[in-house]
Amino acid sequence: MLSNVFLKTLRDWRLSLPLWGIGMALLALWVMGLYPTIGESYADMMEDLPPALAIFVGEAADMASAEGYLSAEMFSFMVPLLFLVLTVGFGGSTIAREEEQGTLDLLLSNPIPRWRVVLEKFAALVVITMLLALTLWLGLVIGATIASVEISFLRMAESTFSGALLGLAFGALALALVCATGKRTWGIGIPAVLGIASFLLDGFAPLVEALEPYRKLSPFYYYSGAEPLANGLNPVHVAVLLGLTLLLLAVALIAFERRDLAV
Amino acid sequence: MSVVIHTENLTKFYGKNRGVIDLNLEVLQGEIFGFLGPNGAGKTTTIRTLLDFIRPTHGSATIFGLDTRRDSLRIRKRTSYMLAELALYENMTGAEFLRYFIHLRGDVDWRFVQELAERLKSDLSQPIRSLSRGNRQKIGLIQALMHRPELLILDEPTSGLDPLMQREFYNMITEARDEGRIVLLSSHLLPEVERVCDRVGIIREGRLITVEHVVNLKERALRRLEIRFAAPVTDEVFAGLPGVSEVHIENNVFHCTVMGSLDPFIKAVARLPVMDLISHQPSLEEVFMAYYGGGDDYVE
Repeated sequence: MLSNVFLKTLRDWRLSLPLWGIGMALLALWVMGLYPTIGESYADMMEDLPPALAIFVGEAADMASAEGYLSAEMFSFMVPLLFLVLTVGFGGSTIAREEEQGTLDLLLSNPIPRWRVVLEKFAALVVITMLLALTLWLGLVIGATIASVEISFLRMAESTFSGALLGLAFGALALALVCATGKRTWGIGIPAVLGIASFLLDGFAPLVEALEPYRKLSPFYYYSGAEPLANGLNPVHVAVLLGLTLLLLAVALIAFERRDLAV
Repeated sequence: MSVVIHTENLTKFYGKNRGVIDLNLEVLQGEIFGFLGPNGAGKTTTIRTLLDFIRPTHGSATIFGLDTRRDSLRIRKRTSYMLAELALYENMTGAEFLRYFIHLRGDVDWRFVQELAERLKSDLSQPIRSLSRGNRQKIGLIQALMHRPELLILDEPTSGLDPLMQREFYNMITEARDEGRIVLLSSHLLPEVERVCDRVGIIREGRLITVEHVVNLKERALRRLEIRFAAPVTDEVFAGLPGVSEVHIENNVFHCTVMGSLDPFIKAVARLPVMDLISHQPSLEEVFMAYYGGGDDYVE
């Protein structure tokens, strides 16, 4: 488990990863399992909801369907929140903590290039995020099976995957900020603020005419704008999220290579 | 003798703050080079520049003839590093930490690691978070020595070690030198440098003041003496003795500073009824004052 930075980073997660996984799977199981019980009254409630609020809990055309319920209860807010907490927390602290505590100097006295440390840490984040996406999906699948809910497992996987991609884009942003500044407060603070801002922008844009043209600036649009739970993944939107992630990762690699490391 | 570390007008500013200024340093094949200076003089700045953790504002440096910026990887392959403010991964044991670093480097014999651990009496099975500062330093020393580097760059490595372990450490780096390894040892302790180094560079306020052979430094060694006599004495007894200064008599107690050989002074004192003699090791600042004068702008 200690043969490189990638595996060592995963090893550091050997306690938190199972906890995250259990948490995510239980949440999915809970929400999915409750659908038969509250589905009907839920549909009534949704119809009474003002449009300004309804937009935040999901845009699925049919609120009464399982897809509408799941979109509102899981994918509109909870899934992106969980993935962002995970990825921004990771991206904003993985290098920063080593730098603040002073282990980075000793690590880099070994003959490994700086860019490789960043790349391997990010690779560890990708694996962690995808593993958690998998457990979340498994929770949904098991919940749907137990509660006999008719819903496409594939579409749930596609939706979850889209959430993981959104998370990785924000994780890469956090990493890039830390690599450029060395400051954890920047690495976590700015992505958190931008995350909230782009969530609100994507949510309000359909309601506020002035915002509508800017909706495509929000990464959240590429996460859920094409409604992957109903329609499957939109290849263009996936490409935008992947491209953004790779761009920010490149910024992280270059910025880290160029700057002075703090003592 | 070939030059291993060479810096050319190496200068580093942190914004407006001085790191080092126009540093021209040469460390030679087969020596233990002491890098002596008070805290904040620029020792760590120099070392971190050599390892490419920070980049010079201007000037440059080479190690083994390789540029410290362009060829840092090739340099680090042949170099090890150890620092006083050592931070290790708290969630690992000593053995796990060392295995991790061995994987990153490759080519280390685990039996040699165990040998080093035995000599330093370091228990590698303990989690690092439970180790005292001195025991952490030992792990740091083992990682610096385990891959038998050509060059060891050690930034105040003995702070936190008890005297017995310090001695073991001095033996280890002297052995390393005898095996042909080069050592750059930074320190703010004159006795430490006098004890193990071949040559010493003295740095103060970011500038290299002088480079001396330790033998020469010892010849000019500075001691503050305090002698208690059985009867009152006058300073005439000590008049004309070489190297004696700052004479000050208070009842039967005589204070002075002696530079260089003590012999003439001791012989002169021997004629008088001495009750007690105390020799103080001067602080680094006093050494600077005595050798190089001035110190008005000295900042701790």
